[in-house]
Order: sequence, then structure tokens, then C-alpha cells
Amino acid sequence: MNALLVLSIAGLAALFSGFSHNKKLAVIVSLLGLAVAFTVNVLDWNTAVRYYNDMIFVDNYAIAFTGVMALTMLLIVALFVDYKESVEVPNAEIFALLFFSLAGGVMLVSYSNLLMLFLGIEILSIPLYILAGSKRHTLTSNEAAIKYFLLGAFASAFLLFGIVLIYGVTASFHIETIAAYIKNANGQPPALLVAGMFMLIGGLGFKISAAPFHFWTPDVYQGSPTIVTTFMSTVVKTAGIAAFYRLFAYAFPAITAEWIPTISVLAALTMTVGNVTAVFQSSVKRMLAYSGIAHAGYLLIAFVSISSNPASSVLYYLIAYAVSTVCAFAVLMVIQHTTGSEEVDGFKGLSKRSPFLAFITTVAFISLAGIPPTAGFFAKFYLFSGAVKAGHLWLTIIAVLNSCIAIYYYFRVITAVYSEGTDSTPVELGTVQKAVMIITAVLAVALGLFPEMIISLL
Amino acid sequence: MGSASMIVLIISAIIFAVGGILVSKLLFKKHNSVVKGEAYECGVPTIGKSWVQFNVGYYLFALIFLIFDVELVFLYPWAVVAKSVGWLALVEIIIFMFILFVGFLYAHKKGALKWM
Repeated sequence: MNALLVLSIAGLAALFSGFSHNKKLAVIVSLLGLAVAFTVNVLDWNTAVRYYNDMIFVDNYAIAFTGVMALTMLLIVALFVDYKESVEVPNAEIFALLFFSLAGGVMLVSYSNLLMLFLGIEILSIPLYILAGSKRHTLTSNEAAIKYFLLGAFASAFLLFGIVLIYGVTASFHIETIAAYIKNANGQPPALLVAGMFMLIGGLGFKISAAPFHFWTPDVYQGSPTIVTTFMSTVVKTAGIAAFYRLFAYAFPAITAEWIPTISVLAALTMTVGNVTAVFQSSVKRMLAYSGIAHAGYLLIAFVSISSNPASSVLYYLIAYAVSTVCAFAVLMVIQHTTGSEEVDGFKGLSKRSPFLAFITTVAFISLAGIPPTAGFFAKFYLFSGAVKAGHLWLTIIAVLNSCIAIYYYFRVITAVYSEGTDSTPVELGTVQKAVMIITAVLAVALGLFPEMIISLL
Repeated sequence: MGSASMIVLIISAIIFAVGGILVSKLLFKKHNSVVKGEAYECGVPTIGKSWVQFNVGYYLFALIFLIFDVELVFLYPWAVVAKSVGWLALVEIIIFMFILFVGFLYAHKKGALKWM
């Protein structure tokens, strides 16, 4: 909970630091705020306190995911130091909006009341609508903002209606009261409650871009400034998945028979749509958007096998995904700046231009594809083995086949990196940029070598 | 409440929405004329283009006004319960107004209140 306060205050501090003549102040304040938020958050470990009339329940689950989001945002803010793409809004305001969005994310991973779920989603999303349009004079950015806003509002309405239906049946917003009500119903929940639950699936499915609610994702990811896209595909996805998982782990574990078939179909559809469409993309940014959809599909498998897939495997998967995605986007930002394009062809000849960048790209995309010894492999391993244990063999087979498709398009980038290119000027890298790349690449490998570090947390 | 009543509700909702449009389509004939297609503002024919851009200052003032308008809306229910809640209520409302004041300070510093 203290993390929530620190993040809100740090957001305001970042906002006002923009008035200073020192242009670096906003970055320093933001990095400091995130570091303090992370420390304060970790200090709450193993306390499990309920705050604000039991609106928020800060257990280890909430603390772990808050920590992941704060650290991911720390890396993203650090990338801003050497960020060259034109964002036509002052950095201080971007940081403030990111902070407010993260505060919404913290509410999403720690709520124990459905009202906080709704509030969290709104606080998370509204700054994002602005951030998506922060390249004000670029048409695609405007398109991204308006598309995200309209569809996001539509999805919020679904979410709210679902909450209302559940309240109508159980007379409570509290997830544990709802769970108790369902338990008393002896496997015969009222149809209205089930309808409400499906509406919640729709609303949250939109946030994590699960098919068939994914249509906004490619356009919004491509139109937004790359740094905002990085935030959306890591922090926002972590918050969305964690909120989704918390809802089903706390509120609906007693009626698995009602939602497991739906989520299974959703998972299979999301993986397949994401991976198959990603194959046909020539823009790396758009490809990463579809790959984000596909990863949401893999993560949905954890919901289906909730009995044998504890929160720790979801946490590990999200960390592995966030680390490799930040790494991949960091490289993409450099490519965008030096070649002016985000196409796969822009990566050609990179091994000649900068062997360091070529190596980082390889690690990032190998981890995304899920090849040992990187974290991406073990993340998939834990998730899929949990699904097999729970008896979802066919879903696992679809997931493994999808991973094979994924290898094809991730390796297209890696082969481009090591093929001959026309341009051979060396690439200049900023110090902080380089540091972020090294940290994420090392983490992608280290987490793969020592997965127990994360798995034993929850 | 069984699933049957849910289905009846959904079907009747669809019939209600689609039916209204259908009935108005069936009962009334469309009369298109030149006058109907014209731009129309407050009963007066428009002079020049009606698609002009306004000074952004109007929007900024309206937005800032709205923030404090909404603040007042929150103050009324607060005033009703303030006495029974006691000192805590006073502290809470001061925090609330301080947050809004910070927003106002930001707008002022940005020069949103200067007429361009």
C-alpha cells in the first residue's frame, strides 16, 4: 500500500520537476521515486495487511507483481535518457502519466473489492490513452489514441456491467464474499452470476488483448511512440494478467467447470491468432504486438490449469516476458533511430555495424521464442507442465505447435541481423541505453539458469 | 432466476431496440430536400463555414472550471456527513482539496489561465 502512496507522490513530483531548468531532473526524480517505491514495497513482504475498509489486500502476490512492474518501469524510464524519437510532450509529463498508470496497475494486482478492480483499470488506462497519442502531429499516433480510448471505454462498460450482475446476485463487491457465496451454491451458481463472470472475462480479456478482443492491439502498439509501446506490452500486460488471475484464483475457484472450457478456447484462439498473424508482419513493432497477443494466450493456459499452475509460474512467465520484451524494444528504438524504419530489413547487417547490438538482439528474441537456456524457455516449461498435470493435453499440444510457429518469425529477425546489409556505419549507443540492454540480456539468461529464485517466491 | 429468464431478457432487449428502428422505417417515408441538408445553428442561417477552429483557451478554461465544479459536487455530500464523522472528515476534505489545488497550480504554471 505504501508503494501506492509513493508512486502517486512521485508522479506529482515528476510532473512539477518539468518546470525546473534542469532537463535531467525529471528523469532523476522518476528513477528515485521508482527505487523508493520498490524498496517500500519489498519491506511489506510477508505482512498481508488489508487497507481502506478491506478494499485492498496487500499479500505476497500483490507485492511480487508490484515489484515486477516497478522494476520494469525503472528500466523503461532509464531508456528515456537516450531516447531520440520525437515525443512532442515534455518528458516530465510523460513520466507523471506513467507513474499514474503504474499506480492503477498496483491497485489492479492488490484489489480485494471489485470496485477497486474497476477503478484500477480506469486509472491504468486513462493515462495510457493520452500517452498513446503523445506524438501529437503524427496521424498514426492520433489514430492509436482514439482507437484505444473508444474500445477501452467499451470494454470498461462490459467490465462494469459484469460487476453489477455479480453484485446483483451476491450483494457484495468483495471477492472473498463472492467466493463464499459460490461455495454455498454447491456447484449450482445462478445464471446471472455466470453471465456476470463472462462479462468480466470480456472486459479483462480486452486489457490483456486476448482474441477475439485483440483487434486494437496492433494498431495501438504501432501508432504509439515506441517507448510507450514498451510500457504497454510489459507493465500493462503484467497488471492485466495479474488482475485476471487474482479474480479467478480468489473469487471463482469453486466453479471451474463453468469457465474452464471458455478460457481454454480463448487461450487456443489467442495463441493461434497471435502467432499466425505475426508470421506475415514485415514491421518488427507490429510483429511484437502480435507476439504480445500470443504470449497472453500462453498465459491463459495458467488459468485453465489453476490447480497445478500456481501464481509463481505466472509471475515467472511475466518476468521472463517483460525482460525480453524491454530488451527487444530497446534494440528496436536504436534501429528506428539509425535507419528510420521499423521493418525487419532495418536489422540487416547489424552484426557488422555493432556486434554488441547483434548479440543483444539474439538473446532477446531467443528468450521470446523460448529456447534454452533463456528464461523464456523455463517460463513456458513451467506453464505447459502445469497444464499437462491438470490434464489439458490438447491445449498443451496446441501451445507447443504455436511455439514452433513463433520460432519462425522470431528467427527471421535474428537471420536478418547476421545477413549482409547495405549500410555499414557503426551504431552509436548511449551509456544508459547500453546498461539497460546489458541488464535485461543478463537477466534473460540468469533467470533461465536459476528459475528457483522466482518460482520459490510465491 | 434461471437461464430461461436471461434468454427472454436478452431477446426482448434486442426486439425492443431493433423493433423501434424498424417501425419508424416502415411508418415514415423519407423526404430528402436541399434545406434539410443545410447546416443549421440556433435558427439562423450560418455565415461562412461552420467548421472553424476555436481558440484552445476556451477548452482549457472549461476544463479547469469543470474540475472545481466537480469538487463542489463532492463538497455537498461531505457537508451532510461532516458533523457525524468529526475531525477526520475535515482532514480528509483538506487532503482532497489539496490534491485539486496541486492540479490547479500545475495548470497555472503551464500558463493555461493566460488568454492567448
